[in-house]
Parts: sequence; C-alpha cells; structure tokens
Amino acid sequence: MELSQVSVGFAGAVALRKASVSIAPGARLGIVGESGCGKSMLGLCLMGMVPDAGQVTGSIRLNGQELVRAPERVWRRHRARDVAMIFQEPMAALNPLKRVGDTVMEPLMIHEGLSRSTARARALALFEEVGLPDPAARLRQYPHEISGGQRQRVLIALALACNPGLLVADEPTTALDANVALRIIDLLVRLSESRNMALVFISHDLAAVSRATDQMLVMYGGDIVERGPTAQVLAEPRHPYTQGLLGARPGLENRGRTPDGRRKRLVTIPGTVPPLHDLPQGCRFSGRCGQEFAPCARQRPQPTALGQGQEAACHLLSPLHAGHGTCRGAA
Amino acid sequence: MALEDPARMAYFLIRRTIGFVLTLLTVSVVVFAVMNVLPGDPALTILGIDASEQALENLRRQLGLNDPVHIRYLNWIGGALQGDFGTSHSFRVPVSELIVERLPMTVSLAISGMVVTIILALVLGVAAAANHGKPGDWGVMFLAQIGIAVPSFWLSILLILLFAVSLQWLPPGGFPGWSDPLGAIRSLILPTAALALVQGAVLARVTRSSALEVMRLDYVRTARASGFSRQRVLWRHVLPNALVPIVTIVGLQFASLVTGTIVIENVFSLPGLGRLIFQSISNRDLPTVQALVMLFAAIVVTVNFIVDVIYVFIDPRLKART
Amino acid sequence: MSGRLPVNLIIGAVLVALVVGVAALSLIWTPHDHAAMTIRNRFQPADGVYWLGTDQLGRDIVSQLMVAARNSMTVALVAVLIGGSIGVMFGLLASALGGWVEDLIMRVADIGFAFPALLFAIMLSAVFGPSLTIAVAAIAFINIPVFARVTRASANQIWMRDYVAAARAAGHGRFAISRDHILPNIAAPVIVQGTIEFAVAILAEAALSYLGLGAQPPSPSWGRMLSEAQTLMFMAPHLAIYPGLCIVIAVLGFSLLGDGLRDITDPRLKRRRA
Repeated sequence: MELSQVSVGFAGAVALRKASVSIAPGARLGIVGESGCGKSMLGLCLMGMVPDAGQVTGSIRLNGQELVRAPERVWRRHRARDVAMIFQEPMAALNPLKRVGDTVMEPLMIHEGLSRSTARARALALFEEVGLPDPAARLRQYPHEISGGQRQRVLIALALACNPGLLVADEPTTALDANVALRIIDLLVRLSESRNMALVFISHDLAAVSRATDQMLVMYGGDIVERGPTAQVLAEPRHPYTQGLLGARPGLENRGRTPDGRRKRLVTIPGTVPPLHDLPQGCRFSGRCGQEFAPCARQRPQPTALGQGQEAACHLLSPLHAGHGTCRGAA
Repeated sequence: MALEDPARMAYFLIRRTIGFVLTLLTVSVVVFAVMNVLPGDPALTILGIDASEQALENLRRQLGLNDPVHIRYLNWIGGALQGDFGTSHSFRVPVSELIVERLPMTVSLAISGMVVTIILALVLGVAAAANHGKPGDWGVMFLAQIGIAVPSFWLSILLILLFAVSLQWLPPGGFPGWSDPLGAIRSLILPTAALALVQGAVLARVTRSSALEVMRLDYVRTARASGFSRQRVLWRHVLPNALVPIVTIVGLQFASLVTGTIVIENVFSLPGLGRLIFQSISNRDLPTVQALVMLFAAIVVTVNFIVDVIYVFIDPRLKART
Repeated sequence: MSGRLPVNLIIGAVLVALVVGVAALSLIWTPHDHAAMTIRNRFQPADGVYWLGTDQLGRDIVSQLMVAARNSMTVALVAVLIGGSIGVMFGLLASALGGWVEDLIMRVADIGFAFPALLFAIMLSAVFGPSLTIAVAAIAFINIPVFARVTRASANQIWMRDYVAAARAAGHGRFAISRDHILPNIAAPVIVQGTIEFAVAILAEAALSYLGLGAQPPSPSWGRMLSEAQTLMFMAPHLAIYPGLCIVIAVLGFSLLGDGLRDITDPRLKRRRA
C-alpha cells in the first residue's frame, strides 16, 4: 500500500496534510501522536472510510491500483480481503445482538461464499489462531458475555477472516488492562510474522508502539513530523515534539541526559493540541515548542533526512538553518 | 450467563406475570367502578326516564343491582373469566356471542393495519436514516410530521372521496364477510391504509432516529470495515439493533392502534367490536359496553406484557440484566 | 448554534397564532351568525357572501369553523390544565416522597398509559350520555399519567442539585422545597409537554366529536362537522375538506411549537446539536 501526498480536508480544517506512507508486505508501522493529530484519519484513509464530509486528495495505491477517488463500491471489494481494521473499543465494535461466532462467520460466507458449516470451521480455526480459550464455546457467546481482551481477540479474528495483506489497528490496546494489552500486542506481532501481513499500529502509547513495530511515524496537527526505525526514533528523537512525547526534551527536567523515557507516555508538553481549524501558520508545533526561532512561525519545515532512515520536519534540523539553535540530537 | 440460567429467566417471567395480572385486576376495578359505582342508576340509563318503577325494579333485580357492590364485582369478573360477560339488552343474546361474531372483523383490521404500519415505518424510517440530511430524508420527515397531525377519520374520508366516490375503485364502507375473500380484501384496503398511514408516521420517525443512533456506533463501522454492502449493513446490522426501541414504541402505540381501529370501524361502518361498542352506547346497552371496554383494555395490557417479554428475547444484553 | 430559532418553532408559532387569533376573533366577530339556518341558502358555493359556502342547513361554513376553533381551543386548554395540574401534583409527590409511594404512583401511571382516552370517554358516555364535559374529562384523565411521568423525571434531577441540598440542610420540608425550588425549575419541560399535549387534545376532541361523544349540536366542532359532511359526501364533497384542514393546521402548529420549545430548552439536545 502506497500513500503519497494524501491530504484530508473538512470544511475549513485540514485533518491530514500531504502524508506519504509506504507499507510493504509484512512491514509493521507505528503511528504515534496525541488525539486529534490525524493518526486515526490516516488509518481511515487506508480503509477508504474517511467520513463523507472529508475531501481526500493525493494518491492512495493498493497493489498498484489507484483508489483515492474510488467509489465506496470499489473500496468495499478491498476491505476485509486486502485491508482490515480493528478499533479501540472492542465492546462497542462488536454487534451486541450477534453471537461472536456469527460475526466472524459473516464475512467468510459473504465474501468467500463459504457454507455455514465450512465458515464455522474456519471461524473455529481463527479463534484458535488468536488464542481464544475454549474456542468452540466462544463461538456461541455474545459480546457482553466475554472479557475485553477476548473481544479484541474476536475482532482480530474477524479482521483476519479473509486473509488481508494489511491490518490497521487503531488504538487496539487503549481500552484494555496493561497486561492484557501486552498480550494483544504480542499476538498482533506474531500474526504479522506468521502471515506475512503488514500491520499499521496506531497508538498514543509509545511503549506499545515500541513493542509492536519496527518503523514509526510521529504525527502532529495533521503533519508527519518525524519518521524512522522505531528503535532509532525512540532512542534518538530529533524533532522537539517527539522529544516532548518521550519526556526528554532539553530545557525541561531531563536536560543533557540520555533519553530513557521510552516507557513514558506523553505528559510533559506544555499547552494543548490546537483544534484543526485553528492551527498555527508555519510549523504546527510552534507556540508549544519552546525552541522556536525566526522561521518557525512563518514557514512550514520540510523533512530533513538524518541518516539510518530517520527524518524529521523541523527548522532546527534543516541545513538552511544549520548552526542555529541547539537541537539536542545534532549537538 | 442469563441465557443459560433458566432460574433467572423464570424469576423474571414470574415477576412480569404477577405485574401483568395486577394491572389487569386494577383495570377491571376501574372499569367496574366507572360503570357501576359512579352516581347514576344503570336501570334508569337503560330504560330511560319514562320507565315505570316496576320495570326499573325488575331490571335492577335482573342485573343484580340490589346486591352489594363487591359481590357484583366478583360475579362480573368471575363470569368474565369463564367467558360469560352477561346478556346484551339490545341484542338479547349473550355478550360473548356478540364478541365471537364481531371479533374476526376487528382482528383482521388490526392485524392488517399493524403489518402495513410496521412495513411502512421500517422501510421509510431506515431509508430516511440512510439518506440523512438529503432530500429523501427531508421528504419522509415532512410526510411524517403531516401524518402525525392528520386525524385518521379525516384521512379516511379523503380516501373514500378519492377512491370510492370519484374513482369508484373501492367500496366506501361495509364488509361482505370472509366468505367473499376478494370483496373482504377490497373492503379492508381503505381502512387499512387510513390506519397505517397515521400510525406509520409516528413509527417512521422513531425508526429513523433509532437507526441514526445505531449508525453512529462502532460496530456499524466494523461492519463497513468488513467490506459489507450498504444494504447489508443497513438491514442486517443497523435495523436489528434499531428494533429494540421500535418494539417498545409499537407496544406503547398499541393503545392508539386499538383506538384507531375503533374509530376506523365506525368511519367505514365495519361490523367489528368498535362498531358494536358505539351501537351499544346508542342502545344504552351497559353490560355490552362494560364487557367491550374491559376486553379492549385487556388486549392493550396483554400486548404491552407480551412486548415486555419479547424485548428480552430480542436483546441478549437484557437477559444478562434481568 | 448561532442564536437562530429552530424552523419548527417559528412555523409552529405562526400556525398557533393563526388558530388562536381566529378563535379569539370569533368571540367578537364572525362573518355570519354561525348557527343561523336558512334552508333556502343550503349548499351555497363559495362566494363573496359565504367565503367557503354553506352547509346542508344553509349555515355559513367560515363562521362555523371559527366558532369550532374557539370550542376546540377551550376544550384542549381546560383538559390539559386540569389533567396537567393533577399530573404535576402526583409527579411532585412521587419525586418528593420516593420509596413505595413513588413506585405506586408510577405503576398506576403506567396503567393509565395503557388506557386510551377513547375507552374512558366511551365508559363515561355510556353511563351519563355523551356530552362535551365528558370529552373534557376523558382527555384530562389521560393527561394525568403523562404529566406525572414528565414531572417526576425532571423533578428527580432537580432533587440532586446542590441548592436543593442546601435548602434541605436549612431545614426546609419536602413540600416547601417542592413548591419553592422544584416546581419553578421543572417549568420548561412541563410547558413543552403541555404544548405537545395540547395538540393531542385537539386531535382527541375532534375524534370524540366525530364519533358523537364530544360537542353536541348546535355547538359547532370540527370533528362533528366532518361526521355530518361524511353523510353528504356524494352531494357536497367540499364540506369534508375544510374542517379537516383546520384540525391539521391546529395540531401541526401545537406539535411543531412543542418540538421547537423542546429544542431550545432541553440542554441534552442542545449539546448534541453543537
């Protein structure tokens, strides 16, 4: 799957700006940012499920086929079979009136034309694959009768039913207990490896992303501000926002120390995310950054390659402004 | 859990059944009280002010009016439970016979009205929700708003004017009986339409808002993400979930369906229970009125009870809560 | 939301003003005496003298419709006021006392809900003979559980407010609090319900009069005009049009007004629209 220069605009607001992402088969990509940063919108772009009011521009290619302006009917053919998605609230995401077995069997019967009994056998195998205990009994239960972690496993089984090449997981662990979340992450990684299935893991939890993915994007205000190998970005964040997310920003309590805040959740950035219709002109992060200088307020920073596949969009890192400021990573 | 727990299910059913019986008893007391205890002499009402004292006394004895009130109530309710509603004064036959004779008409109208109402409301309501904010939605909402304000008897008159008086396609009223199936169906078309258009307007609005509510939920997004067609998502995932509040409203609306049936029978001179009740008022036939009011009230209460129970069967989540 | 009023409120208010205005006007002026019969003038077509023509007894249609509007408004007002007051009282009582009293009142209200106004009117008419008073009583009766339910639900929310807690702490009794704090604060939902019930009452009065259980001749009523028109359908179909239109306008007006008032007073809806 290839996204290039994809923007999503709603009346007067840009939810996603010129995002280019490429996902190879079997790759695991993390997308990180605070709520409202555009990460979920990016996920919906991958599914062709941007709300009707949104204007999508750019190019979305799936196995070489252009889908950016494809009608719902074309996208529908790809959902479940090529791209599947799981959501944050496993309770809310399951039809409460259907037994979970029937929920998983439905796409098999509709998309693959399987008979009820064959579909049931496949659903049973899927339940086993996602590690549901006593899968035969689970098939007959309703969503309210099983635990949150089990519901998320059911949703994963549903997403896997038609063997998609890409699974988009939008905050799949946020609503779960910490140890349940870890097991779900490990399950996703294992499935991605065993099925050679690409995984897009959207989360605001850096620890989860670190465990689940090998490449990552950091988003802020609809822009991708930093990207690179997950381990690299988390070890040496270069964009002030990423540094803020990791709680290792110079000028705050951790000045001069090596960043060891990998397990920390975002907490230390002053201010709040501005609403999408009221973003600052130049760099989206200006106003909250704390390391601003002349161009930040006026000019939008371009991504700068930093070696080892890492790049970040910050004026501090740009060769045009070399020598200015004190970006920690460059120092 | 509760699904596999017959004890909790039984407890729930028993509790609801006791409530149902208590409600029926209360209603019967109210009906009896209004018809018998309020100031006024039923014998005088029936025979009129010109009746001789002797005739009045005879009728009072015949009606058991000289017994204490509670004895009369127990006699009435005891008889009713065995299917004995007393004797009609105007028709001089047991009321139960009248009811048996007229019931098929009323049931035919009520069922056809209900079925058409539900189909109309579900189709229009879901279609409006699926086209939320578009002209189709506005059109349905506009019609529903008008439909709520149009009295069923006026709509009936307009339908008669158009289809019976002007076009002469359908009979303006009357009912030939089920021995003439084609004629019977033709006679039921206009009454059913009048009943269903008005009832359906209310229900279509409920269906629409209920479907809109469901369409916002996450599992509908899951269904879309599973690549299902719009129609499938709408009818297989949205509608069943939207049905839960709709069933409640159908139950609540049943009282107005009964009222509507009584009114419509009178508009179209259909020989059912609703027509009978009005004939009995004109004939001052108190035992018949009392029996029919009780019967209608009992039907409403019973339907509400059934809806309560059905509710639990449609929504597995409720089973856990009961 | 900008400060704009909802469309339904505006349309509803205009229609209500029209109907109430005509009803009020009929107190001092109608084009003709509504009851004056001139058999010579029967079934006159609409013209400059009789704006909508005359009926089978030569009575002016417009004048009858105007007086019928007044009768309809009066019946609805009296019925909703009586039923509403009793219902609000029971609702306040249930909310103030709680416990088994509340349960009992609400259970009885549930039963009342299942009892259509028509059946009540039928019973009363069978005993006392049909009259407008009975129609009013029946409509008032079905309003009691409706208002009891709305009042209790709103009042229960107010009871949880801090200022009520403060009043209780200050030693005020339940009934004094109900009167001084609860009642003024539930006015909005009760008035909204009252407006909607007004529409229901107009419809119910028309139906009862149509069936002969409401207004008795010679008092004009939209419902009764329709039942008379139905017998003349082959001769004078136009007589069956105007009274029905009047009912629709009046009912539509009050129900739109009620919906509109709800839209601007219910904070829950406001938040959803924002």
